[in-house]
Amino acid sequence: MRHTNARPIGTFPRTRIVRAGAAIAAIGLIAALVSGCGATENSAADASSGASRWTQPRTAWGEPDLQGVWRYEGAIPFERPAEFEGRELLTDEEVTERDRVEKEQAANRLAGLEGADVGRRSISESPIRGNEYNSFWQDHGRPRKVYKQTSLIVEPRDGRVPYTPDARKAEARAAARYGVGPFESFLDPDTGERCLTDGVTGMMWQGPNGGHNQIVQSPGYVTILHEEYRDRRLIPTDGRPHSNIRQWFGDSVGRWEADTLVVDTINFLDRTNYEWASIWTRPSETLHLVERFTRIDAETLEYKITVEDPTTFSSPWTAVIPISRLADDTRIYEYACHEGNYAMPNLLSAGRAVAAKQRSSN
Amino acid sequence: MRIGLKGAIVAIAVAALAAFLWSRVPPVAGQGEPYRAPRTADGRPDLSGVWQALNTANYDLQAHPARPALAVIPAPPRTAAPGLGRSQPVELPAEDVRALGAVGGVPAGESVVEGNEIPYQPWALAQKKENAEHWLERDPEIRCFMPGVPRATYMPYPFQILQSADAVLFGYEFAGTTRTIHLKEVKNNPAPTWMGLSRGRWEGETLVVDVTDFNDQTWFDRAGNFHSDALHVVERYTRVSPHHLMYEATIEDPKVFTRPWKISMPLYRRFEPAKRILEYKCTEFVEQLLYGRLGVVDPATGQTNK
Repeated sequence: MRHTNARPIGTFPRTRIVRAGAAIAAIGLIAALVSGCGATENSAADASSGASRWTQPRTAWGEPDLQGVWRYEGAIPFERPAEFEGRELLTDEEVTERDRVEKEQAANRLAGLEGADVGRRSISESPIRGNEYNSFWQDHGRPRKVYKQTSLIVEPRDGRVPYTPDARKAEARAAARYGVGPFESFLDPDTGERCLTDGVTGMMWQGPNGGHNQIVQSPGYVTILHEEYRDRRLIPTDGRPHSNIRQWFGDSVGRWEADTLVVDTINFLDRTNYEWASIWTRPSETLHLVERFTRIDAETLEYKITVEDPTTFSSPWTAVIPISRLADDTRIYEYACHEGNYAMPNLLSAGRAVAAKQRSSN
Repeated sequence: MRIGLKGAIVAIAVAALAAFLWSRVPPVAGQGEPYRAPRTADGRPDLSGVWQALNTANYDLQAHPARPALAVIPAPPRTAAPGLGRSQPVELPAEDVRALGAVGGVPAGESVVEGNEIPYQPWALAQKKENAEHWLERDPEIRCFMPGVPRATYMPYPFQILQSADAVLFGYEFAGTTRTIHLKEVKNNPAPTWMGLSRGRWEGETLVVDVTDFNDQTWFDRAGNFHSDALHVVERYTRVSPHHLMYEATIEDPKVFTRPWKISMPLYRRFEPAKRILEYKCTEFVEQLLYGRLGVVDPATGQTNK
């Protein structure tokens, strides 16, 4: 089953062909999995119980210390599913049940079993999506974390992306083309298959296993290293104004508001002509992002992003994402995607074969 | 009178300021005391900032004369004009780079290699020459591949050094490549990599970086200088003035060279106000070159590929 809406968070529904670089990234994932096995499970409740003993760590120069490797490990849908219409939070009972299902699915995946094969509820029948499609990219043995939120989007209150009518059409068109083509030239695959990027808007919580992001701080700068596509953000926090140079990742300036890092990003390059699996991840020149990073306990970075772009959305929207800290010795690895992109010639060769077949059958 | 006094005070202030600024002009290396860098919060030399090499090392590490293009062809002999036969063919720009004219020329440059000799094993010297002849098809820079070490340092793009407690980051503009210099103990990479694994330590004023775990895919320059997966680089970064870093790299590769050899060069601070490392996502710039002729349609012409 393909998804015709924005892709669910924590899954990676993309037609991926293994590349040399991807293999290296996979080693990184496995390493992270192994190193993360001893980590305690947290639900929102567990996290809050430890909060009283926790104090905000600080760098030698006095900023809140956000450093480490972080990834989103939650099972919260990006948009609110229809079944939770009008409800922003799950009940405690629902959290318990979902947590049980997540653990069961993870155990099944680790055993190399699809749910149906062991006479249990199949992954596709489960009330929470498993990672059945492109499951190569997932940590099979690690259950996703269950939180009370029914959607990452908290504003607008219905938990849905407020597309403009044109953007909704473009989203439907992109979704229909996704994995189907036609793939006539290198401009047709999505930007992930082209080894370009998945974009800055979803960087903190998209990608395999929610994506690995390493935060490194130095005086006057916060750097975010995103393993996938080796995307990197060098964010000055020294009070400088925005640059007037447009970039695909825009121009980011950061500031500290109490213990929150606030990053304001404008001056994006227009990439609306590039194909994406999810239209909301591609920038237009009118995109404006405000991101707020707050460490709320030892294990959790609360990431709040407000997305404003009148070209794509009829109103701003805000998502709140609880991002988990991985073990201290977790490293991110080199992601040589473009350097080993054998998929592109194969995809284009397949496109030519399809075109030739169509010509001969006409 | 009051205006005159004010003027005198201003003049004295300006003179004092000038004297103060003059006294703060950095000592040049080799002139008296060695420069001592400002310190970070944890007491290390502060190397942070945006830096760039200003030399021709990326064209050729060794001393080289100017030439018309990176890819050249020998002009065919003139047979129709008696007396004008040439003992050496004239080198002309190859067809694929001809349109660039003077933009595509190679500036002459001094050697950054100590002694100007790269001690290749005989087979490797032949390989280097072949690489140079096939530069257009082989140089990984053309395809926007990660440049490796030490090449990333002296490409014609700036890079930024960011210092944290456990790590130093090198953020290169070219291809958006980042190197983490680990100051804490780390395990080797699970697989060979383009940028290697960098382990750093401080030796007085110098950041020493030991780099291993390379693949054999990167080059040292546009002249075909290359290495194997046995490459081991030891880099030394030392601040020699408020605006200069001295860079040294010792290069060792027993599969390719007969002995270790060394390059060195100054790096210059890009001290334009609020200088940033900008985006150079060159992957999208080379797709036409790499894939344009492979699809059903060539996007550059709109024509169906044969």
